[in-house]
Amino acid sequence: METLIAILIGILFAGGVYCLLQRSLVRLVIGIMLIGQGANLLTFAASGLTRKHTAIIKSGETILQAPHADPLPQALVLTAIVIGFGFTAFCLALLHRTYKTLGHDDLEKFNTTDTDK
Amino acid sequence: MFLLLSVALIFMAAFATPAIARFIPHKQRFLFALVPATSFALICSKASDIAQGLAISEDYTWIPAFDINLNFRLDGLSFLMALLITGIGALILTYASGYLKGYEANTRFYTIIQIFMAAMLGLVLSDNLIAMFIFWELTTVSSFLLVGFNHENPDARKKALQALIVTAGGGLAMFAGILLLGNVAGTYQVSELITHAEMIKNHKLYEAIVILICLGAFTKSAQFPFHFWLPNAMAAPTPVSAYLHSATMVKAGVFLLARLTPVLGGTSFWLHLLVYVGGFTMILAASLGLIYRDLKKILAYSTLSVLGIITLLIGMGTEFSFKAAIMMLFAHALYKATLFMVAGSIDHETGTRDITRLRGLRKVMPWTFAAAGLAALSQAGFPPFTGFLAKEYFYGSALDHNMKILLISSAFISSMFLFVLAFKIGFHPFLGRENKKIHAHEAPPTMLIGPVTLGLLSLLFGLFPGPIAKYILSPALASFNTTFHPVKLKLWHGVNTALILSLITLTCGFGLYKLRKKIRQNATGVDDKLNIQFDQSFANGLESFIKFAKWSTKLIQSGSLRSYMIITISAFAGLLLYILLYVGGMPEFYKFSHVKPITLAFLVALAIVTIVACTTLSRMTALLSLGVIGFGITLIYMMYGAPDLAFTQILVETLTVVMFMVVIHKLPRFKDFSTRRKKAFDAIFASIVGMTVTFLVIKAQNLSSKNPVSQIYAETSYLEAHGRNVVNVILVDFRAFDTFGEIVVLSIAGLGVSLLMRNNKKEDTE
Amino acid sequence: MSPLLLPLLVPFIAALCCTLFSKSLKVQRSISLIAAVFHLAASFNLLQNVRSEGIQVYLNGGWAANIGIALVADLFSSIMLVITGLISLVVLIYSLKEMSDKLQSRAYFPLFNFLMMGVNGSFVTGDIFNLYVWFEVMLLSSFILLAMGKKPDQLEGAIKYVTINLFSSILFLSGAAIIYAKTGSLNMADIAMRIAESSDEKLLNSTAILFLSSFGIKSALFPMFLWLPASYHTPPVSISSLFAGLLTKVGIYAMIRTFTLIFPLNNGLLQEFFYVIAILTMVVGVLCAASQFEIRKILSVHIVSQIGYMILGLALFTPLGIAGAIFYLLHNIIVKTNLFLFSGVILRKKGSCDLKKIGGLYKVNPGFATLFALSAFALAGVPPLSGFWAKFVVLKAAADAHEYLLLGSGLAVGVVTLFSMTKIWAEAFWKKQPEEYPGVGEDTGNQPWQIMLPIVFLTICTFALGIWGELIFNICVEAAEQLLNPTEYINAVMGEAK
Repeated sequence: METLIAILIGILFAGGVYCLLQRSLVRLVIGIMLIGQGANLLTFAASGLTRKHTAIIKSGETILQAPHADPLPQALVLTAIVIGFGFTAFCLALLHRTYKTLGHDDLEKFNTTDTDK
Repeated sequence: MFLLLSVALIFMAAFATPAIARFIPHKQRFLFALVPATSFALICSKASDIAQGLAISEDYTWIPAFDINLNFRLDGLSFLMALLITGIGALILTYASGYLKGYEANTRFYTIIQIFMAAMLGLVLSDNLIAMFIFWELTTVSSFLLVGFNHENPDARKKALQALIVTAGGGLAMFAGILLLGNVAGTYQVSELITHAEMIKNHKLYEAIVILICLGAFTKSAQFPFHFWLPNAMAAPTPVSAYLHSATMVKAGVFLLARLTPVLGGTSFWLHLLVYVGGFTMILAASLGLIYRDLKKILAYSTLSVLGIITLLIGMGTEFSFKAAIMMLFAHALYKATLFMVAGSIDHETGTRDITRLRGLRKVMPWTFAAAGLAALSQAGFPPFTGFLAKEYFYGSALDHNMKILLISSAFISSMFLFVLAFKIGFHPFLGRENKKIHAHEAPPTMLIGPVTLGLLSLLFGLFPGPIAKYILSPALASFNTTFHPVKLKLWHGVNTALILSLITLTCGFGLYKLRKKIRQNATGVDDKLNIQFDQSFANGLESFIKFAKWSTKLIQSGSLRSYMIITISAFAGLLLYILLYVGGMPEFYKFSHVKPITLAFLVALAIVTIVACTTLSRMTALLSLGVIGFGITLIYMMYGAPDLAFTQILVETLTVVMFMVVIHKLPRFKDFSTRRKKAFDAIFASIVGMTVTFLVIKAQNLSSKNPVSQIYAETSYLEAHGRNVVNVILVDFRAFDTFGEIVVLSIAGLGVSLLMRNNKKEDTE
Repeated sequence: MSPLLLPLLVPFIAALCCTLFSKSLKVQRSISLIAAVFHLAASFNLLQNVRSEGIQVYLNGGWAANIGIALVADLFSSIMLVITGLISLVVLIYSLKEMSDKLQSRAYFPLFNFLMMGVNGSFVTGDIFNLYVWFEVMLLSSFILLAMGKKPDQLEGAIKYVTINLFSSILFLSGAAIIYAKTGSLNMADIAMRIAESSDEKLLNSTAILFLSSFGIKSALFPMFLWLPASYHTPPVSISSLFAGLLTKVGIYAMIRTFTLIFPLNNGLLQEFFYVIAILTMVVGVLCAASQFEIRKILSVHIVSQIGYMILGLALFTPLGIAGAIFYLLHNIIVKTNLFLFSGVILRKKGSCDLKKIGGLYKVNPGFATLFALSAFALAGVPPLSGFWAKFVVLKAAADAHEYLLLGSGLAVGVVTLFSMTKIWAEAFWKKQPEEYPGVGEDTGNQPWQIMLPIVFLTICTFALGIWGELIFNICVEAAEQLLNPTEYINAVMGEAK
C-alpha cells in the first residue's frame, strides 16, 4: 500500500513537472500546485503510514498507545499546507497581474530580461 | 622605522595630494618631487652599512596567522632598486611638472604616480613574497590607471586594458607559484627560503613553481611572447613611460628573477628557460626597433631588448653574468630614463615624435641635445660611459660561459642593434638641416634637470666607477651569491677579447646606422604587419573569448523558462538517479502486499485525474481535476489517521478553487503553444522525475527510523502539555515557532495579493 | 528575554507597526530605522555573548531541543546576524531616497522587515523544518518586493524567480520529511547525533542530494542559477542590492550548516560533486558575466561566480577552507551590496546602466569614481582590499589540499573578473559620454547624504577589511573550527535536554 502511495506521489510530481514545462502561465500555477500536493503527501507518507489510528490520546489514558499514526509528519504537513496556500494565493495574484500588464501568457516570450533582445 | 617611513611617506603624500594640490599652482608642482627626494635621502643614509655587505631588516606583523608580514629588507639589490625608484622618481616628478602643465587633471596624475612609486618601493623592499605580491599588484593597477591617463582616447583605454590583462594574468600565475613555494618550504620569507633552496629544487613541484613565477616575471618585464604590451603602453604620457617603462615597473620582473636566483636558480631548467626566453626577446626586440619611426616605439623596443639581456644574464648563473646583469640594470635605468624624457621634450616642444620629420634640433634645443647625446653614447656602449662597462661585462660573461658561441653571437647582434637605436634617438633628431615646418624651442628648466642630471651621471659613473663598485655592485652581487665580497670595477682592463668585440660592435653599429634609412624603407609595411600580428592575436584572443562567453551564455541562459526548468530539474534528478543507481540504495518493492482492489481503483482514478489536469485544454476541467485531486488526497489523510489534516486540506482546497475561479475567467483560454515533439519530450522527462521521486519515497519508507522523537510526544503530550490531540499540541506548543512562521507567511501573502490585485490606474505607471 | 529571540521579534514587531501605520511613510521610516539599529545592536550583543560564553541556545517553551524548536547561535550564525544587521541598516538608509515615495508606500517597509525576519530566522533556528518555514517567510517577502513595481520586466523576472524557487522549496520540504523519516528527528544537532550513530552512508547520500539541489537553487549554483540573471537586476536598486547582498548568501549559510553538521563532506562522493559544482559555478558564472553589457546584469551574474569560491572553500572541508568561505561571504556581502548601490547612483545620474549609453563619470565625479574603483577592484581581488584576502584564504586552502585544478580555476576566474570590472570602469567612467545618447538622468548634481553615506561607509568597510582583516579573519577561523567539530554544537543544543 505504501508503495502505491509512493507511486501516486511520483505521478503528482511528474504531472507537476510536465505542467511547469508548458508555455502557458496558468499551467505553471497548476504545476506548482500539483508538485505542492505531491510534496505534502510525501511528507505525510515518507516515515511510514498507520491505518485508522489517529494521534489523539483517548480519554482516560495519559499516553498515546501504539499503534498510532506519527503525529509529527501530520503537524508538518499542516504547516506546509497553510504555507502552500499562501504561496498559491500569491501566485494567482502574480499571474493575474502579469497577464494584465504584458497582455499575453506565452512564457516563451518572457525573455526580455535575460537575453539581449 | 626608516624603511617603513620611506614607503609610507610616499603613500601618505599620494593620499594627501588631492587635498594639497589645490594650494599649489601648476608652475610649482615640481615641489612634489621633494617627497621621493626625502625617501632617497633616507635610503642613501644607509649606504655605508650596505657597502659593508650588511642588510637592514624591519619587521612589522600584519597577519601572522598566514605568515604574512611586512618584512622590509634593504640589501644590495633592493638598495640599488630603491635608489633608482626614489632618485629617478624625484627627477620624473620635476619633469612632469613641466610636461603636464597644460593638463587640467594633473592632480590625478601626481596621486597615482606617487601610489605607484610607493608600491614599487614596497615591492623591492619586501622580503615576504605575499607582501611583495600585494605591492606588485598595486603597481599593475596603478600603471593601468597611468597608461590610460588620456582616458577619453579609445586607443589609450584599449592599450591600458591590454597591459592590465597581460600583467595581472601573469601576476596571478605568479601568485599560484608563490602559494606553492610557500607550501613546499613552509615560509614566504625570501631570506628563509634561501636556506631551503636544495629541498625546493629537488621537490616534484619545482618546475611548476619556476614556470608560474617566471610567468609573472616575464609578463611584467615584457619578455617574449608577452612583449607586445610594452610598445602599446607607450600610449601613456611620456613621464609615465620614462618612469614605469624604463627604470622601474618593467624592472620588477627581472628584479624578482634576481631575488629568487638563490632560491630557484642554478638548475639547468632555470638556465635554459631564462637564457632562451631572454635571448630571443633581446634579438627580436632590438631588430624590431630598427624599423620604427616613432621615438617612443623605438625606445620601447630597445627597452625590451635590454630587459631580455638582463633576463639572459640572470639565467646564465655565473658570478660574472650576475655582475653584468647588475651593471646593465643600473646603466640602462640611467640612460633610458634620460632618452624617454628627451623624447617627451621633443614631442612636447615640436608636436611630433616621427623621426622622419625631426632633424636639426641641436640649435634650438642644445641642452636637450646634450642630455640625449650623453645617454645615447652610453646605450651605444662608448667608453667611458656606464653603458660601456655594462657591455664589457656582458661580453666578458658570455666569453666565460660554456654556451659561448651562441651567447657571443647573440650579444653581438643585439648590441649592434642597440647602438643604432641609441643613435636614432640621441643624434638623428638633432643633427642635419633644420626642418622649417617645425617650430621648436628649448624645453623649460623643469624638463631639463632630469635628463641632464641622468645623462651626466651616465658619464661620471663611467669615469669614476669606484663608488659604483663599492656601494652598488658588490652589495648587489651578495644578493645573488648570498655571500659578500668586495668587487672592483675598472674602466680599463687592457686589450682583451671583450674590448675588441666592443670596438667591432661600435664600428658595425655605426655602419648599420648609416644604412638606417634603407633598412626602414625596405621594411616599410613590415612594422605594421609585425606589430599588428601580436596585437591582433591578443585582440583576437580577447574577442574569441568574448564570443565564446556569449555563445555559452546563450546556450544556457536562453531566456526560456522551460529550458531553465529542464536544466535545473535534470541537475537534481540526475544527481539523485546517479546515487540511486550507481552508488546503491535502490529500494526493494516488497510492500505491495495486501492491497484492496478498491484502494487500487481509487489511486488509479487519482492518477488519471492528474493526467487530465495536465493535458486538458478546458480551464474548467483543469480546475475541476485539481479539486478532485485535492479531495482525493484528503481521503488519504482521512484513511491514515489524520483527521485534522483532512479538515485543513478541505478548507484550503475549497478556498484555492474559489480563488482560482475568480482569477481564471480573467485569463485567456489555454493555448496549445508547444509542439507535439516537445510535449512528448516533456512527458518522458516528467515521468523520469516522477519515478525518481517514487524510488526516493520507497527508500525512505524502508529505512525509516525505529525511534522517532514522536514517541516522546506520545508520552508527554498529555502529561506535560495537557493536550489530547497530539498534532494540535505539537503545533501550538512543541513547535510553536513553525506556526508563528506560518502565520507570518499568510500575512505576507495577504499583503502581496492586495498589492498585486490593487487596480489603480495611476499606480500602474510607476 | 533571551537575546536569541530579538533577531526574530524586532523585525516582526517593526513589520506589524509598519502595517498599522500604513498611511504614514514618515512613521514607517522611523520605525524601520529604529528597528534596524536595534537589530544591529542586538546582533552585536549576541556575537559578544557567543564569543565569551560559547554557543547560545534558546529552547522554545522549555521543551528539550529535539521535541521543541531550539534557537541556536554559534559563531557562524551570529557573524551572519551582524552582517545582516549592518547591510539592512545601510540599504534601508539608501532606499529612503533611492525609492520613490509611491513605491515606498506599497508596503515596502513591512515587507522589508518581514524579509529580515525570515533571514534572521534562518540564521538562528536549530531545526531543519523550522529553517524551511523561515526560508518561506524570506522567499515570499522577496517575491513581493521583486514584483512590487509591477513593471513588465519585473513581473517577467518574478515569474522565473518564483517558479524555480518554489521548486527549490518543495525539494527542501521533501528533504526535511525524508530526513525525519530516516533519522526520526528534526533538530539538526539531534539528527547529526543519530546519523553519527548509524554510520550508514547509503542512507544519507540520496537525502543530501535533495538539500544540495534545494540550497543550490537558492544560492545560485551551477546549473541552477538561471533564475538569478533573469530577475536580480529588475527591481529598484535598493531591493536588488539587498537581494544581491543577502539572499543567495542565506542559501550558502544553509549549505555550510547542513554540509558540516548533518552531511559532513569528508565523504568522498559528495565532496567530489562539490568540487565539480564549485569549478563550474565559478567558470560559467564569470563567462556569463563577461558577455553582459549592463552594469546591474554584470554584477548579478558575478554573484554566481563568487558563490563558486565559497562552495570551493566549503568543499575543501578544511578549517582554512571553511574560514575562507565565511570570510569570502562577508567580503562579498559588503562589496556586492555596495556595487549595486553604485549602480543606483549611476542610474540616477545617467538614466541608464547600459555601458553603451553612458560614460564620462570619471571626469565629472573623480571622488565617486575613486570609491567605485576601490569596490570594483576589491571584487576582482586586487590587494590589499578585502577581496584579495578572501581569495587568498580560499586558494591557499586549495593549495594546501593539493587541489591544483581548483587553485588554477580560481585564479583564472579572477583574471576574467578583473576584466569585467575594468570593462565597467573603462566604459562608464573613462569613456566620454557617447554623443548619440545624451545622459538622461534626473539627478546630475550632488547626491543626498542618504545615498552617499551608505556607499562611503561600505567602501571604508572594504578597505578596512583588507588592511585590518585579521581580527575578522580570526573570528572566521574560530567559526570554522566550531563548524568542523560539531560536538560542541551538539552538546550545547542537546546537553541542556538532559
